[in-house]
Amino acid sequence: MKKILLVDDSTTILLSMSAILTKAGYEASTAGNADEGLTKLKGGLKPDLLITDLNMPGMNGIDFIKEVRKLPDHKFMPILFLTTESQQAKRDEAKAAGASGWLVKPVDAAQLVGTIKLVVK
Amino acid sequence: MDAIQQAFVVESRELLQAMEDNLLQMESSGGDAETINAIFRAAHTIKGGAGVIECKFIVEFTHVLENVLDEMRSGTIKPDPELIEVLLACSDQLDSLVGCVESECEPDDEVNKASVALRQKLQRFLGNPAAATGGVVPSEAKVEVSGGGGEMETDNWHISLRFGHDVLRKGMEPSAFLRYLNELGRIVHLVTLPDGIPDADEMDPESCYLGFEISYQSDADKAKIDSVFDFVRDDCLIHIWPPHSKLADFISSIEELPEDTMRLGEILIKCGALTQQELDQALSVQSDRSQETEAQPRIGDVLVKQGAVTPEVVEAAAVKQSKVAEKKSLESQLIRVQAAKLDLLIDLVGEMVIASAGANMLAHRSGEAALVESTSVIAMLVEQIRDSALQLRMVQIGDTFTRFQRVVRDTSHELGKDIELVISGSEAELDKSVVEKLGDPLMHLVRNAIDHGIESPDVRVANGKPARGTLRLNAYHESGSIAIEIIDDGAGISREKILAKARDRGLIGSGQVLTDSETYNLLFEPGFSTAEKITNISGRGVGLDVVKRGITSLRGSVEVESNEGAGSTFRIRLPLTLAIIDGFMVGVGKFTYVIPLGTVVECIELTEKDRVETANRQYINLRGGVLPFVRLREQFEIAEAAGRRENIVVVQYAGQKIGLVVDELMGEFQTVIKPLGSIFKHIKGIGGSTILGSGDVALILDVQSLVALATVQQNRGQTAEALRV
Repeated sequence: MKKILLVDDSTTILLSMSAILTKAGYEASTAGNADEGLTKLKGGLKPDLLITDLNMPGMNGIDFIKEVRKLPDHKFMPILFLTTESQQAKRDEAKAAGASGWLVKPVDAAQLVGTIKLVVK
Repeated sequence: MDAIQQAFVVESRELLQAMEDNLLQMESSGGDAETINAIFRAAHTIKGGAGVIECKFIVEFTHVLENVLDEMRSGTIKPDPELIEVLLACSDQLDSLVGCVESECEPDDEVNKASVALRQKLQRFLGNPAAATGGVVPSEAKVEVSGGGGEMETDNWHISLRFGHDVLRKGMEPSAFLRYLNELGRIVHLVTLPDGIPDADEMDPESCYLGFEISYQSDADKAKIDSVFDFVRDDCLIHIWPPHSKLADFISSIEELPEDTMRLGEILIKCGALTQQELDQALSVQSDRSQETEAQPRIGDVLVKQGAVTPEVVEAAAVKQSKVAEKKSLESQLIRVQAAKLDLLIDLVGEMVIASAGANMLAHRSGEAALVESTSVIAMLVEQIRDSALQLRMVQIGDTFTRFQRVVRDTSHELGKDIELVISGSEAELDKSVVEKLGDPLMHLVRNAIDHGIESPDVRVANGKPARGTLRLNAYHESGSIAIEIIDDGAGISREKILAKARDRGLIGSGQVLTDSETYNLLFEPGFSTAEKITNISGRGVGLDVVKRGITSLRGSVEVESNEGAGSTFRIRLPLTLAIIDGFMVGVGKFTYVIPLGTVVECIELTEKDRVETANRQYINLRGGVLPFVRLREQFEIAEAAGRRENIVVVQYAGQKIGLVVDELMGEFQTVIKPLGSIFKHIKGIGGSTILGSGDVALILDVQSLVALATVQQNRGQTAEALRV
């Protein structure tokens, strides 16, 4: 089963997304902030995809993506980021940091699963 | 309410609390960028969550709020007291909106009106007077409540293409290749590079000078994309860079390859990162080089230099090649658990403790060493399980304390006082169920301190104190219990006033002399209030007796210290847990009692000499000090005559030591506290019951009330002695 790591400071989002993912046959694990996400990734979790929020307390999403890309194990894991801010600048910044693509919140089930199928083979 | 809505409610409440804390901090200390950002984030996350549960009224409300906060973040709007007031009101409003989600009903008219009013106020800060006067009805507000039409994008292949000069002469048409590319996928972006084009007079019209940089989206693999250029490969410079997600594919397929010894090139081709042509080219370069120099360059380096693969992929392949085993450490994480499940666990652990004690006893009775050995191992494990299970319920008191920031702020504003709340000991832990029940008594004491304790600024200044009053909330652990202090630097409590009022109310006789603590304890008598006028802050007809009742029901105590003119301290003491304790078992006659182990200081024998000496008094000389004691036999009216030998268990509560006279010391015992029925309520000195391993019931002593009893007895005794002299 493909593993997906969700990082978001909103429990509501984590809960709803992992429900969608589990239903679609993925194994979802969650982290409430960037540090927790990093701990998991450094701790040996090897997801096939990382989905992260950009605006989080503590380390923000963009720095998080940069940190993840520094980890040898996760240099090429696809990363999607969640954003409600339609500012192009934020997206470009996130992509420059190493993200593979983005999703606009709130994400609906079909769109989420559709995008994941594009990046996780 | 489904699980997601429930999560939303819990989360929103937490965020609102954080938002409020930050707003208050901003008000007191100006607030830095991070504070503003945190406030924004709270609103933002609530809005996001509301979007997920499709709660329109919260999304609409938060939308305007988020805009204002965003402007604050960018510095367009400066925070001023008025704005902070409005934002605090918004946080309250959100709280009631979340309440609507919780109770699964639409907000009523009143709530809606409040929403509209607040949104209009917010609009004014946005410099949007039109909207402010427009009388906007919530349902008409235009907000992007998403119907799911979000955007998405995954990243692209990058193709770097430089056609050879002879391409046109060979009958190839560059644009044909681009069209072919478009059949395999989609060219997202294309930049034509005219750099290679020479000046007009040098230009050969039959030569091709073009270069392209292409962003390309396709499901095809690298070999397939590369095959597009089969006909022009020899003349062209082609680099195909996979998207990040593809790189991940390469890496993961490298990892999934069978653990065979393979050459690096083979690995790279197998995983699809490299085409055969690229490898061939690299191999020939490698052999050319090796002829030139002594050392043969490594194939990976050559491939990277050629731009055929990224260094990272080569690295991954090299790692695979050397088969480095990876260490996997445990995932650390937090889990949210329903409180009810924990309660059930604690209950079961309690039963297990009793059952294990029973098994232990039977084993001892059987006298079989091996059986005794194994049951004692079980008992030890049970003890550890008990401790970890109880630990699960422990929460820090800090959250409860910070809630009072707002209370202090609002109440002091209302009364025209200037009061600072200082919190310490936030990390002290206690049982969640205790924390929950602690809120009301604490609230009462805090309000009481603000209202009756701390004076208004002008009075303070006149008395030579700083105009700003300080209210402290402090918590610390102390021998099996937690102490919580509410300390103010206000006027303190006037002994004379208390005594006068108590005489007024007939609580004490006119000639009665009371100690300080007895005097202050009068405050907790029903119907006692020393404030001359009743304000709407405290003194709402309920007195401090309610506080005392609340605390007592948690097996705790509350006491007051006061220094007239300098302030008062209310100290609450509570047991750390309400479920299971370590007990010390004692016997009186044929009855068994349990004393909470945390309160036991030492055990001493009541010698024959002492027994004779103390026949008519209730204290002994313990190493030069007076130790008042209580004879349990008398206290509980046990008819049998005293045993041949008696012992004294010295216990301590709230700094006060007393002795309990018992017959037998039976040792430590894990005690599961079972509540007593209400018919036993009037019996002083009993706090609960427990079941012993034998199935017998033992009573748990309430050390707190026994200490109080002994102290009173001692004082009376001393007064009597003094009178006799």
